[in-house]
Amino acid sequence: MPTRTAHDDFANRLATAYGEMLDGVRPALQRVSLRVTGEGRQCELEVKNRQTGVLDYWRVSKLRIVPDQATSDALVLARQEGDPARLIIRDRDTARAVLAACPRIAQLGAARGAWPKIIGLGAAALAAIVAILFLLVPAMADRGAQLVPPEVEVALGADARTRTIAALGATECKGAEGERAIRRMTDRLSVGLDLPYPLTVRVVDDPMVNAFAFAGGHIAIFRGLIDTAETPDEVAAVLAHEIGHVVHRDATRSGLRMVGSFGIAGLIFGDVLGTSGAAGLGERYLRTSYSREAEVAADAFAHRQMERAGLDPGALASFFLRLQAESGQGEAGVLRHFSTHPELLDRVEAVHAAGSGPGMGRAALSTQDWQALRAICR
Amino acid sequence: MSDLKTDFAGDRGDLFSLALRTGVLTVLTLGLYRFWQTTRLRRWYWSAVRPGGVALEYTGTPHEKLMGFLVAVLVLAAYLTLVNLAVMFVAIRLSAGVPDLMTYAVGAAPVALLPIIFLARYRARRYVLSRSTWLGIRFGMDPGAWGYAWRACMYWLLTVVSLGLFWPLKTFQLEKYLTDRSWYGNARFIQLGSGLTLYPLALPFFLGLWGSIAVLVQTGLSGEGTWAWYLFLTVPLALLGGVYFRVASVRAMAGLKELGDGMEFDLAPRTRVLLRIHILGNLLSGVLVSFVSPVILGLVVGALYFTGQVSSDTIFNPPPNLAAVVAVLTWLTVFVLFGVFRQVFVVFPTVRHIAETLVVGEPSLLQGIRQRSRDAGRDAGGFSEALDVGAAF
Repeated sequence: MPTRTAHDDFANRLATAYGEMLDGVRPALQRVSLRVTGEGRQCELEVKNRQTGVLDYWRVSKLRIVPDQATSDALVLARQEGDPARLIIRDRDTARAVLAACPRIAQLGAARGAWPKIIGLGAAALAAIVAILFLLVPAMADRGAQLVPPEVEVALGADARTRTIAALGATECKGAEGERAIRRMTDRLSVGLDLPYPLTVRVVDDPMVNAFAFAGGHIAIFRGLIDTAETPDEVAAVLAHEIGHVVHRDATRSGLRMVGSFGIAGLIFGDVLGTSGAAGLGERYLRTSYSREAEVAADAFAHRQMERAGLDPGALASFFLRLQAESGQGEAGVLRHFSTHPELLDRVEAVHAAGSGPGMGRAALSTQDWQALRAICR
Repeated sequence: MSDLKTDFAGDRGDLFSLALRTGVLTVLTLGLYRFWQTTRLRRWYWSAVRPGGVALEYTGTPHEKLMGFLVAVLVLAAYLTLVNLAVMFVAIRLSAGVPDLMTYAVGAAPVALLPIIFLARYRARRYVLSRSTWLGIRFGMDPGAWGYAWRACMYWLLTVVSLGLFWPLKTFQLEKYLTDRSWYGNARFIQLGSGLTLYPLALPFFLGLWGSIAVLVQTGLSGEGTWAWYLFLTVPLALLGGVYFRVASVRAMAGLKELGDGMEFDLAPRTRVLLRIHILGNLLSGVLVSFVSPVILGLVVGALYFTGQVSSDTIFNPPPNLAAVVAVLTWLTVFVLFGVFRQVFVVFPTVRHIAETLVVGEPSLLQGIRQRSRDAGRDAGGFSEALDVGAAF
């Protein structure tokens, strides 16, 4: 029996088997001599105080090695998990003999039964954060948006609009004929709407193919979008989509959602202020998931409103599809939300297939107004 | 019995290998292993510090840290949600006057976190003490995190409003608050001295700070740019004076601590040494990272090339997805290596320098000390982990 031999070896070395003991009661090192008694599961380490002769028995199956020591000049053993008593063996031969006599001593600090708790707590923390970010905060933001007075929203939107345009280094186009044309288009698209503030639609002199809706009815359409559109209906469809954002108060709601979710996603990464890469990605994912929902709703609104205004509701779809075919890969402006949300494309295609043949009604603008709108920035 | 001197026994090579292994595992597990990393590094450092030749021991476990972190995430998520919703409501109400919703929000939430950060610091210190032993006897700390948090907030406010005048008082009072609640076994630590103790040490800092302010005011009043040249003198004086004060105050307060019936301490870190360690160590870490990272990435790409996994065309014209993967790998490599080098060249020499200056006086009084019971330490420093206000390890 191999253990038997090991014990015999150890017994033979008894004369040199010395160590130091900390009893976990007093702050003092006690010189002790060591001996292994018993066999198998009953195997014990006899620890004898060399001054007082007091005997102590440490069960070998409960011994633990204290890991991650800075130097290997001593073997440190704990009497058992959670016990402050320690045996320090500085003599190499003794250490080797103890390890040979008592093979497979586990490391200290391996907490049994901790994992089910950890998994439970982890699931609870994750569920709480998901519930807060995707149920509670959106619901509170929706309620909160209704409490914001309309004149505050108008002021907020005007401020955001000026700042966004200034940040792009662009200006608003002031062609009088063109402004009248966009006014007429807006009026036609707001049929049947009851908004607490007027729609303020501006064309921005910038080649980007894009449009923005700010809080309080402020909408910016970029010149690049008007240049790219082949018919006034295509511009009208995008405008209807942006009016959808205004009707749903998306700008105000998304602002409130950002306030409501501040720092919560970052907690998981140990980084509330979101300065690390991982936390930043989390924040971005959150923003995208909030806006995805808003885009789908605005598309649905645009479809309804185009129909109500007697315009071709398929114009939005055909415009987007054409843009996508032309540029190949959607990278900028309105195209971006298709590249990030491919499911919208399916929707658009469905609308397109359901169809909207020719002769749905007259075009969104007269030929004269359409020319004026295209020339608004000149 | 003569005073006990402190040895530091540990080798940079061993630490390097421990820091590298745990760093790689932390990245591979998306950060989950960091609780094990912290635990193992602490165990290593504690076992290297040996007052009177007997090593300290760190008895914390990674499992309790992970659980404490998860509890802290739950509590903080609830707290932040409440604060955010309150801010949202106030912003809506107030925005009738000032239409800037986001400014409120961005400012209010971090301010609401401040007391929680102090709370987290106290609890983290309490946890670390409760998991430290020397000669088999546990250290410990009484509860008192809330008292610490509001005092810290008040002293901070006073310090900022008084342009730094209350900094020495704040440093002393907060350290006294912590010390007077700390225990070794059944013996209590006491911080002697008074709020005025540290003022002489802050003179260079005050001179530098108030000199800078005076120069700025004079420049503004006279409109003459030439005055601004004095900033080259006063700003470095303020910075160096600030560092000197921090080190010297630790030294002064350590000398004025007592344990139990009169055990004394002496801690004598030198500002000059610590400054050199931090400047050279960080510099060296940065330089090493910028040399080693490209070599590692080059070896990886080279190995893939020679084993035929990738062609030269892919290397010089990588598809966007691959480029993104390589960018992430580069970032992770730099992140891990910088952490490892910082451990070896900054944290290690700092701990060694401070440890080697520790002297324990009147050690015969240890005889009267007995064990204290184990502190459950339920959150195990989780709040400081979730808020990222932890120390170097």
